[in-house]
Amino acid sequence: MQIVVADDAVILREGLARLLREAGFEVAGLAADAGELLELVERVHPDVAIVDIRMPPTHTDEGLQAAKAIRERWPDVGILVLSQHVHAGYAVELLSAGTDGVGYLLKERVSDLDELASSVHRVGAGGSVLDPAVVSQLVGRRREADDPVKRLTEREREVLALMAEGRSNKAIAERLFVSEYTVEKHVGNIFTTLRLPVSPDDHRRVLAVVAYLNAQ
Amino acid sequence: MGINTGVSGVRRNADAGQILIAVAGLLAGIGVAWIVSRAGGDRFNGSHLPFAVPVILLVGWSFIGGGLLYWRSRPDNHLWAVLIFQGFAWFGSILPSSQNPVLFTFGQFVYPWQYASGLYLILSFPSGRLRGGLDRVLVAITVCLVTVGNLVWLLFADPHRMMCPTCPANLLEVTRNDAVVVGVFYVFRPAGIVIALTGIGLLAVRWRRASRAQRHAVMPVAVAGVVAFCAGIAAFAARLAGMPGPNGFDAFAFYAGAAVPVAVLAVLVQRRLAQGAVAGLVVELGGPGPVADPREALSRALGDPSLALGYWFAAESRYVDRNGGPVELPAPDSGRRSTVVEREGQPVAVLIHDAALEHNAKLVDSVCAAAGLALENEQLAAELRARLVELQASRARLVEATDAERRRIERDLHDGTQQRLVSIAMSLGLVEAKLPADPERAKPIVAETRTALATALAELRDLTQGIYPTILTERGLPAALDELCSRSALTAHLRLFLDGRLPIPVETAAYYVVSEALTNAAKHAQASEVRVAARCADGILTVEVADDGVGGARNGTGSGLRGLADRVGALDGRLSVSSPPGQGTTLRAEFPCR
Repeated sequence: MQIVVADDAVILREGLARLLREAGFEVAGLAADAGELLELVERVHPDVAIVDIRMPPTHTDEGLQAAKAIRERWPDVGILVLSQHVHAGYAVELLSAGTDGVGYLLKERVSDLDELASSVHRVGAGGSVLDPAVVSQLVGRRREADDPVKRLTEREREVLALMAEGRSNKAIAERLFVSEYTVEKHVGNIFTTLRLPVSPDDHRRVLAVVAYLNAQ
Repeated sequence: MGINTGVSGVRRNADAGQILIAVAGLLAGIGVAWIVSRAGGDRFNGSHLPFAVPVILLVGWSFIGGGLLYWRSRPDNHLWAVLIFQGFAWFGSILPSSQNPVLFTFGQFVYPWQYASGLYLILSFPSGRLRGGLDRVLVAITVCLVTVGNLVWLLFADPHRMMCPTCPANLLEVTRNDAVVVGVFYVFRPAGIVIALTGIGLLAVRWRRASRAQRHAVMPVAVAGVVAFCAGIAAFAARLAGMPGPNGFDAFAFYAGAAVPVAVLAVLVQRRLAQGAVAGLVVELGGPGPVADPREALSRALGDPSLALGYWFAAESRYVDRNGGPVELPAPDSGRRSTVVEREGQPVAVLIHDAALEHNAKLVDSVCAAAGLALENEQLAAELRARLVELQASRARLVEATDAERRRIERDLHDGTQQRLVSIAMSLGLVEAKLPADPERAKPIVAETRTALATALAELRDLTQGIYPTILTERGLPAALDELCSRSALTAHLRLFLDGRLPIPVETAAYYVVSEALTNAAKHAQASEVRVAARCADGILTVEVADDGVGGARNGTGSGLRGLADRVGALDGRLSVSSPPGQGTTLRAEFPCR
């Protein structure tokens, strides 16, 4: 799997490249800002681009803008956006154009090599990844008394959060040490309670869940 | 707020001179009136002139009396001399009515002098000075014509032929020469018309350029001047056209001439009335309750609607308006003047008024004196408001500075510490992955990680030190200044006269003053040495940093100094910068420290 990395801090760029190689990926190029990143993607057409949100010249959300540009021009290139801060708004903005092959992770997650590798694989395979911190911010925000989320059981809310992170029913079942059938039952209850349209596709339901959580 | 008075001896001489002139004027008037009465009352110089005697006396005595009044109120303005001369010249111009050959001849000689002084009067009113080259040329030509020209005429004029059949002998007549006499007339009359027309033109130009207050001050005289010029033109033109004299136009010119002294008197009376308005001002400003705006009252009393008031803001040595906004003093050539109102040698306020009021300094002085107390009160209020304006500005700057500081800290943390910690986390992830299978390859990564952690800690330490100097809280100002000086890139000599701890805000501000001054000296001043001194005496902490650099730094330039000034100002202190080019920069801060 071919990866490109964009980060203005050389120490992180190189470190990330080393980790990715260690995990068995092929690092096809490194970029220090959004302009270099777009050139690089055009040239090597990688499977996944890992992008730091804050880059020169304005040090605000260049990475996010570059990510959206890549999604528009090369929809089959997966995007994994890294951020040092939890900004649910950024994540939703990124996901709003479709959840296929999109991820948003806090930078510190890269220290877990297995987790990093699985996230890159998921994004590269057209799945989606949303940082648990972002999801908990979305799920945990203050809600009105009549909010349907409040009617979910503890277990159902756990399942909802894992769904939002972009995990499949099978992955959720492994996480919670329950059977896949149980997870399916929870998911059915969640969709009914929240009055969401049932979707057989794991990825499309992420968008529905995130959009729902963000709208409340 | 005083009016300068001259030495008393000079005053006495002036008093004697004034009495002498008054008596002479009185006698001259009576004499002339007697001559005219004897010549037939309402007929003189061959013309029929009703009320000739009262008009003659009114004009002559108005000029002389006006001149004396002017002399008393404005001795520095030489208009009084012109007015008195004009009065006597006027009486002299009546003398040709006498049957006495000496008086008659003298009268013929001085008869046209009034035209020259009258022209000077109209053109120079109210300053007493001619303003332009054209003015001077015009007056000079007129003086030549009425002295030399008239004398030439007299040398050849036969009175019975040229003046009147019943006139006495012309004692100056050398020989009768009608050709010369007629020739002189043909120069006199067109010249008179040209001079009068030019005079009207000059007055018109001046009127157009004048401010409202200036017009107000000269209007009666300007109008009378134009009327007199027109009358002169008509009389000369009638003669040129061949009308036999004396005729009705001569009579018109005679009465029109009377308008000028009346106008001068009118202006004088107007000024007296304006000074009377000062009494009203005292009542208005001194009454119970707050004054709406002293500017309104002062503007009415001075007759200058454009009047502006500035109040002294001692803390910043400048003038501010009622609301504390800045007030600019007028440029010397702007047509505006400023008069400072002082109290015990300290400025209280400044009146910015029309330059025309310069000619009425006495009125301005009395108005300032009358408004003194009200202006002082208003000054205190204005100073408070100016402080408030300054306070609001400095508060806004403090908020801005705080935000900027937070942004800087966030950037430092984001770009430095956070990045390093993430990279350390990545290295640890790598180690974790390698350790079970290949411990040997994991070793250098562990060492690398430890180095990275040490670097991160050092950066973090620098950062926290930058956020707040911990040594200041732990050890106090002397130790903190000592550390600052030892860290400085320049050779710094520290002299301390401090005992015990000072209030924390004072210590902090003093620390930042020294810190900023050291940074500036190292960065901008091209200095090699710095002297730092801190002394606490009589409840005042003085901190001074002097470098040997290029100087030329200005207070208020650069957000660093501005921020320091705000910090010092917040503690009721003062920050001053002395930085003459080539002589180094000295930054000095003083705070109350008790």
